[in-house]
Amino acid sequence: MMKKLFGKKGREDSLAKRLLIHLVLIMACVIAVYPFLRVITISLRPGAQLLSTSLALIPANATLENYRTLIFDKDFTIWLWNSLVVSITTVIVAVLLSASAAYAFSRWTFPGKKQGLLFLLTTQMLPPGMLLLPIYVMVVRMQLFNTYTGMILAHSVGAVPFSIWLLKGYYDTIPKELEEAALVDGAGAIEAFLKVIIPLSTPALGVCGLFSFMSSWSEFMMARVMLQKSNLFTWPLGFQKLLDQFTSQWGVFSAASVLVAVPAMLLFMYSSKWLVSGLTLGGVKE
Amino acid sequence: MIPLTWDMVVQGLVEAGRILGLLAVGVVVLELFAYFVFHRWLKLKHSLPLMLMLPALVAVAALIIYPFGFNLKLAFSNMSMYRFKNFSVGLSYGIENFLDVFRAPVLQNVTFLKLLLRTVVWTAVNVVFHVLGGLFLAILLNRPLKGKAIYRTLLTIPWAIPQVIAALAWKNEFHYQYGFVNAMLKQLGFAPVQWLSDPRWAFVAVIIVNIWLGIPFMMVILLGGLQSISPEYYDAAQIDGASGWQQFRSITMPLLKPVLIPATVLGVVWTFNNFNVIYLITRGGPMEGTDILVTSLYKAVFEFYRYGFGAAYSTVILIILLLFTWVHLRITRGMGEAEGA
Amino acid sequence: MKRAFVLTLTSLLLVALLLPVGAFAQKKVTFTLWTKEGEVAGGALEDIVALSKEFIKTRPGLTMEIVSYGVEDLRQNFQAAAFAGQGPDLLWTVSDHAGPFVAMEIIKPVDDIFGAEFLEGFVRPGLEVVELEGKTWGVPISVGNHLMLLYNKKLLPEAPQNTDEMIKVGQELTVDVDNDGMPDQYGLVYNLNEPFFFAPWLGGFGGWPLDGVTPTLDTPGMVGALQFVHDLKFVHKIVPVECDYDAADSLFKEGKAAMLVNGDWSIAEYQTPEVKANVELGIARIPMISETGLWPAPMTSGIYFMIPDYLDDEKVAIAKEFVEFISSDEVQVLFLEKHMRLPATATALAHPSISTDPLLKGSADQMVVGKPMPTVPEMRAAWDAIRPNQEAVMAGKMTAEAAAKAMQEAAEKLIREMNK
Repeated sequence: MMKKLFGKKGREDSLAKRLLIHLVLIMACVIAVYPFLRVITISLRPGAQLLSTSLALIPANATLENYRTLIFDKDFTIWLWNSLVVSITTVIVAVLLSASAAYAFSRWTFPGKKQGLLFLLTTQMLPPGMLLLPIYVMVVRMQLFNTYTGMILAHSVGAVPFSIWLLKGYYDTIPKELEEAALVDGAGAIEAFLKVIIPLSTPALGVCGLFSFMSSWSEFMMARVMLQKSNLFTWPLGFQKLLDQFTSQWGVFSAASVLVAVPAMLLFMYSSKWLVSGLTLGGVKE
Repeated sequence: MIPLTWDMVVQGLVEAGRILGLLAVGVVVLELFAYFVFHRWLKLKHSLPLMLMLPALVAVAALIIYPFGFNLKLAFSNMSMYRFKNFSVGLSYGIENFLDVFRAPVLQNVTFLKLLLRTVVWTAVNVVFHVLGGLFLAILLNRPLKGKAIYRTLLTIPWAIPQVIAALAWKNEFHYQYGFVNAMLKQLGFAPVQWLSDPRWAFVAVIIVNIWLGIPFMMVILLGGLQSISPEYYDAAQIDGASGWQQFRSITMPLLKPVLIPATVLGVVWTFNNFNVIYLITRGGPMEGTDILVTSLYKAVFEFYRYGFGAAYSTVILIILLLFTWVHLRITRGMGEAEGA
Repeated sequence: MKRAFVLTLTSLLLVALLLPVGAFAQKKVTFTLWTKEGEVAGGALEDIVALSKEFIKTRPGLTMEIVSYGVEDLRQNFQAAAFAGQGPDLLWTVSDHAGPFVAMEIIKPVDDIFGAEFLEGFVRPGLEVVELEGKTWGVPISVGNHLMLLYNKKLLPEAPQNTDEMIKVGQELTVDVDNDGMPDQYGLVYNLNEPFFFAPWLGGFGGWPLDGVTPTLDTPGMVGALQFVHDLKFVHKIVPVECDYDAADSLFKEGKAAMLVNGDWSIAEYQTPEVKANVELGIARIPMISETGLWPAPMTSGIYFMIPDYLDDEKVAIAKEFVEFISSDEVQVLFLEKHMRLPATATALAHPSISTDPLLKGSADQMVVGKPMPTVPEMRAAWDAIRPNQEAVMAGKMTAEAAAKAMQEAAEKLIREMNK
């Protein structure tokens, strides 16, 4: 029994065992998906009601009215577009900045390397909200509010440290001999990096992009202080308008939730192939 | 309602293009500067890696250093609701602020020590379950199995849903009468639980949500780790007659360690600082029974207007987290790995 | 030579770094209004936008930007903006914000801007709410925001007159249809753990959270009121075991609750066609407390214009014109008839629909026994002190006496902290 559970891969399990594994995985999937299905349920319910005594997944009088309201009567399309612009630009900036920095951390030993990596980790430790007021002051002094510049910078900087860690780990698993071969052929260090390392690292670069996208996509605190014009709002800001102090439009809110979760989920599905191979923190050396 | 017009689409693209252009110019200027100063003038041995890192480091530093300095200034000030714009800065205020963190309740009743303890429990329980749950699922998914890709995709959904939405969805599921958690308990013959009015159960509820949120990340990371372990090791062990548990202990665990250590370090940092889940589900209540350090910090500053105190408090929290990570890395000797050996 | 080159580069870099990146962004002279009104279908926000368009029509060169934030976001964002000295030009927000904003010195008094004659056009209680330190800090947009008793005539034809009656009919209407030990229909529902929804009962027992700036929480009135709400749940069992705003709202909308305590902002929501299928809405005063013979006193407040202290004269002039525009009878009556908001000007309050529409009449009748919510910053401390202890009483973890005592101590401590 134990042998099979932790044993080698590549060998067929017995039928009973396979059934058991499927059963466990199906249960895990149900737990993973169910809360989101309930959001869909609320979005299909007429009226602005959040809770219902009914546990049915498809409500009795299901309607797409909330989706219609959202798309045609709200600024939803604008929020979505703005969020896309911000997130995608963030991904570009973050991946470019971290891809080169991680290379330095991976291939050279230099004084301050350990400290540099630790400093990057430290930035992840700043309690959320800690720098909100100071950042606001800075944004005002630099006249960066009501532009995406400040936000994209802030989002990228938030994503860069993790991306560097991740990419460094991945680069570490690429044998140095490959670049050395290129160097022997007369290429410079930068050229070797671009021609050898980057093509080999697409899974990891993709994961970095995915991470940067996800963190920027749903970021709220920074957006709230930086964007003060309705037509610049990203969706996390726009959503707050649907949740009025008391009279929240839960149906519309849920419809909106479904629609903003979908791009992220599609991205995950699309990337699921390289997600596992690209996410090699620290790297496995054998 | 504002309709999305072509103008706005173009405007968004132009804005994005402008930012990228500006950054490109900035990077080129920075690199030229670095090239001449570090390479030509100072003739540093490591000028190339330095230049590779420079844009990222400058960006991170610029966005951290000024606000951090400002925050430190606030920590040594008496800024509060009544001294909002005309606050003064002085050493004595700073000492007061830092002492206040430890000697008086941070919010109403809950003290720093209690919050710290609760944060440690929160972090430890979450990360342990993330790793165990993730490892369990990763091991199952690493076996030859039909429909593996579908399982993997479905299991990553909690990670793909924006946290705000996941938290609000879960909040409803913990409702005494309407939520499915109690409905499930009733089916299984247990008494329903007052998840959101009893502080202990509320804390359990937020932990459950965060475990649900965090497992997919660990699962994917560990699956990557497992896949890169060569099957030859297991074949050899099999020949030697090692049991499944022995193989797990002597092959899987040691080879996963380099993946596991940085992943848990990040997991600890992220969980310790996780504000969304608790704030959106319970707002730290009831009776401040689910507040952890970071939610109490936010409340102290933005709800109780204690700006000076809050700045000092945030510094203390940061130092604790630094110590925490340092100890963690010491125990696991993980920095050797992070260094790339 | 090399040195000179490095120097040029350094200065180039410095220029690049110091260049205000935002200067490339397009600049427009706009007047920005922040409002707490959310994007509810057919809600006030749509009308604000429409009114702003009408307003700028006669003022060439002016654009108006309406930004909607949640109430808490608006407060926090405005504080940050005021700290940096740059932000919105006018606020459309709830009266409770006046207290902290005055203490922080981030809004202007309105007396000199508008003059006594204009302000006299508003009803006295409307102005009193925002009078602090002898000055007026806001211009009322609408008054009310008060809780009342909403009941479903399909389940309960007549509203109860006193709490004994309320408990009696409440028990009759709390029924467990499917015998699973959990009622499926309730006599009364409301946001059980929210201090704002507790305040009416407190008033009905003769208590009130503040006397001036001094907390008065450890009083017989508080003990009585806490005991009362505790008994509603644990003794009389006419309210759900756990009930927040959304649960109460959902139960009432589904026709599964006979009585609901909710505010004037919610009336319009219970009149949509879907809800009307289950609910025939009636509005009455929250029933008189049988023990004391007093009417419960919901807190009344309102929505106000407030003017940021950093605003220059040019913008103040625009703000003044816009405020006067919204205060006109025409606009006030629009908000009354369309959004059921009680107007703040004496002339609009005399409008006939207040006495003819039964729902508006019920709302106005409840407001008469309401008490203005204190605006002083100390109120915040009182709220924060009440909340956890009220939660403890409602969880059955604390006696009313102990909770009242703990509230008082917590409030005093919070106020000391605040005044430090």
